[in-house]
Amino acid sequence: MRSRLALIALIAVAAWLLPYGLDSYAIHVVNVILIFAILATGLGLAMGIAGQVNLAQVAFFGVGAYVTAILTTRAGLGFWVSALLAVAATVAIGLVVGTPALRVQSHYLGIVTLGLALAFTNWVTNAEITGGAEGISAIPVPVLPGVDLSSEYLYYYLELIVLALALGFGLFVVRTGLGRRMRAMRDDSLAAGSLGAEVPLLRMTAFLLASVYGGVGGVLYAGLIRYVAPESFGIANMFLLLAMVIIGGRQSLIGCVVGAVSLALVREALVDHPTIAQVAYGTVVVLVVVFAPTGLAGLPARARVLRQRRRGRQGAAPRLGPFTPYEPTAAPPDQATTMLRVAEVTMRFRGLKALDRVSLTVDRGEIRGVVGPNGSGKTTLFNVISGLYRPTGGRVEFRGRDMTGSTPYRLARAGMSRTFQNLRLFGDLTVEENVLVALDRSRTLSSWRYLLGPVGILRRDRELHRQARAVLDRYGLADFAGLPPKSLPYGIQRRVEIARAVAAAPSLLLLDEPAAGLNGEEVRQLSDIVRAIRDSGVTVIVIEHNMGLVMSLCERITVLAGGRVIAEGEPAQVARTPAVIEAYLGDSMSSDDLPSVPEVTR
Amino acid sequence: MQVFLQTIVGGVSLGAVYALVALGFSLVYRTMGLVNFAHGNVVTVGAYLASTFYLSTKLPFALAMVIAIALTGAIGLVIERVLRPLENRDFDLMLIGTIGFGIVLDALIIMIWGATGRAVPSPVPSAPLDLFGLRIRTYDLVVLAIAAVATVLLVLFLSRTKRGAAMQAVAMDHEAATAVGIHVGHSNAVAFMIGGGLAALAGGLVGPLLYVSPALGGALGIKGFAAAILGGFGSIPGAIVGGLAIGILDSFTAGHFQGYSELVTFLVFTVIIMVRPTGVFGERTVNRA
Repeated sequence: MRSRLALIALIAVAAWLLPYGLDSYAIHVVNVILIFAILATGLGLAMGIAGQVNLAQVAFFGVGAYVTAILTTRAGLGFWVSALLAVAATVAIGLVVGTPALRVQSHYLGIVTLGLALAFTNWVTNAEITGGAEGISAIPVPVLPGVDLSSEYLYYYLELIVLALALGFGLFVVRTGLGRRMRAMRDDSLAAGSLGAEVPLLRMTAFLLASVYGGVGGVLYAGLIRYVAPESFGIANMFLLLAMVIIGGRQSLIGCVVGAVSLALVREALVDHPTIAQVAYGTVVVLVVVFAPTGLAGLPARARVLRQRRRGRQGAAPRLGPFTPYEPTAAPPDQATTMLRVAEVTMRFRGLKALDRVSLTVDRGEIRGVVGPNGSGKTTLFNVISGLYRPTGGRVEFRGRDMTGSTPYRLARAGMSRTFQNLRLFGDLTVEENVLVALDRSRTLSSWRYLLGPVGILRRDRELHRQARAVLDRYGLADFAGLPPKSLPYGIQRRVEIARAVAAAPSLLLLDEPAAGLNGEEVRQLSDIVRAIRDSGVTVIVIEHNMGLVMSLCERITVLAGGRVIAEGEPAQVARTPAVIEAYLGDSMSSDDLPSVPEVTR
Repeated sequence: MQVFLQTIVGGVSLGAVYALVALGFSLVYRTMGLVNFAHGNVVTVGAYLASTFYLSTKLPFALAMVIAIALTGAIGLVIERVLRPLENRDFDLMLIGTIGFGIVLDALIIMIWGATGRAVPSPVPSAPLDLFGLRIRTYDLVVLAIAAVATVLLVLFLSRTKRGAAMQAVAMDHEAATAVGIHVGHSNAVAFMIGGGLAALAGGLVGPLLYVSPALGGALGIKGFAAAILGGFGSIPGAIVGGLAIGILDSFTAGHFQGYSELVTFLVFTVIIMVRPTGVFGERTVNRA
């Protein structure tokens, strides 16, 4: 920590002294580089942190610069008033460009944002107000009392302060709740939604942040160059920005700045051979994505891993601790006793009827088992209940309220939590951060606090960290807190996912095949964990193939076959129902589905 | 009415070129789920290669095209081979990797052929046909015919040959395809190679219609992509319908909005994606659960 502070102080001093060693051309180059660094930080926030492929960053840059130019030269407004309006206009454009992200992702989003960026250059080259292909010149020098900003040396300090603030704010966002939710959404938007992250709002927030940085960069550019023309905001610069972010390391904002500075320097060194420079950085981008996807920012971590491997593991290997049961609490008696009511739900996928008028009622405090042969619609039922699918027909009532077709994050915030059949942990977050995402219930809309009450945010984050530690301790996962979940054995990953789901403080917990891939001992522990969770006042529904576990754990079982409920009742009674025996033996000859000898004996 | 029909006729030949570009995108996408962002640049390379062999080396137009197609097919193979380690692992990274290739190709084009463009004379120099008062350039008919033949050949390849069937299998489930002994890498390589070839076909054909310049591929690429999405990404009939639709839309916006035609085309395209991301013939959902 101390060495890091010293490093920051050193960089600050070096940055402060830098202009003394530069001639007037070099300081100009540096000033342009700083603007690119701000733009790259914004792009990194959208692409690297939130996973939103944004190829319109250069257009945000252009909007900021052009609006400043138009307002100062055509409307005669002062520079700083124009600057404020320019950033506001960029944000408005940013939100428009971001709207497609609500519908499409990845490649589609890339091409739409690229198309809109092209549309922007097309507009500025043709419109009269933007001065057409010639652009707008004679933008007035920004006035700051006591500081002559027409001197590029002094302008450097203005840019330096803005960059420091922008980077500091970005890092603050990334390391606290908002950034964590965005990173969770990037890694797995379905799981993030099921834990209460408002995915649509977060995507818009990503574009909002990117456009603010783009707008600020544009304003600074207009004030520095005092001339704007279409070619500065074309595709070539967009790809250059993208290369900066990728080479620097898109998931680290500091990496983005490092990438921007180093690539800009290389480009400057090859200023007489722009095509060679372009071939070079294009090649580096390809090499980086293939060989070092985390970019320059990921190199220290890779070096550390290599060093450790050469030296051999040191210290004790992390170990899974025992689970500490919750204090049993009785359900408050005055509340309604029905937790979930599924009424006549039908789900069609084109021709296929995955669920056919399924009805089921789960009482508060129950552990309900849902079993059935493969393809009988169990997971589809979960997906309908948790809001991933909107049912073709029927109703889903949760805690007495009709929640049919509600979004996963609304259901999560209403008190529903789930795990997934194929594990959906956030791969690039640590185990602790996975739990933190679930613990953090702050609203995306209250993110204005990041500007007005950063201390409150920090305090709250510290409290969340304390709670996360407590959760990890309870589940015996404390040793793994700082590790990425992918590095853990499968059984432990399963436990992390359950800990994460329970950390969201649900009143209804949906477990989709929690015992899949676990060994006998782990299954026994799972059964204790699930029972303890129920005893703490959480209603549990579990899909499971391990009949031994289901028989011993669940009070009632619902059997699905071919999308219909064919039996429901107590385990022993259901196992004797002729329809169930036929469904298992008649439809599916797969022997793992046989409800035969219990595998768990208690 | 006359003007209306003439506008449509004007858009159809460019639409056929967009359709070929869209086919290149779609073929790679349906095989490996990847959008090749370098495709537009490969189209430009194809356009320059074809025009160079045709104009400078004085080869017959058809032969120039064939050589260009072979060379861009090789470029496709290189792109696939370099990015193969990322296949089926991280699509966002692959996407950025193809953008990286696009950046390199863009610079190479300027290095080899310079930043200024060139005009390519039509290889079939005869007067436009007059059909019920509509003027139809003969070269437009040539473009349409070649595009149609290429499409038919592609469909036959995918449905009638063993390699084509293997590619379809990889498209449906690459793990199952591996399990029955199909080399997924080879299959993807063939998709990229054919995609590259289609790019040169489109680029070579568009040469006499537009001005061949380094910026050609950007516009063609993004419009071809729009065509692919409009028709339903990955669908072959979709690419054809989408291409023709974008061509005609282009023709109308050029008539009505002049300089702003690109702006209008992209805005329309954005709205379409918002309303129906899966396109007209699309079957795949965008967010796979």
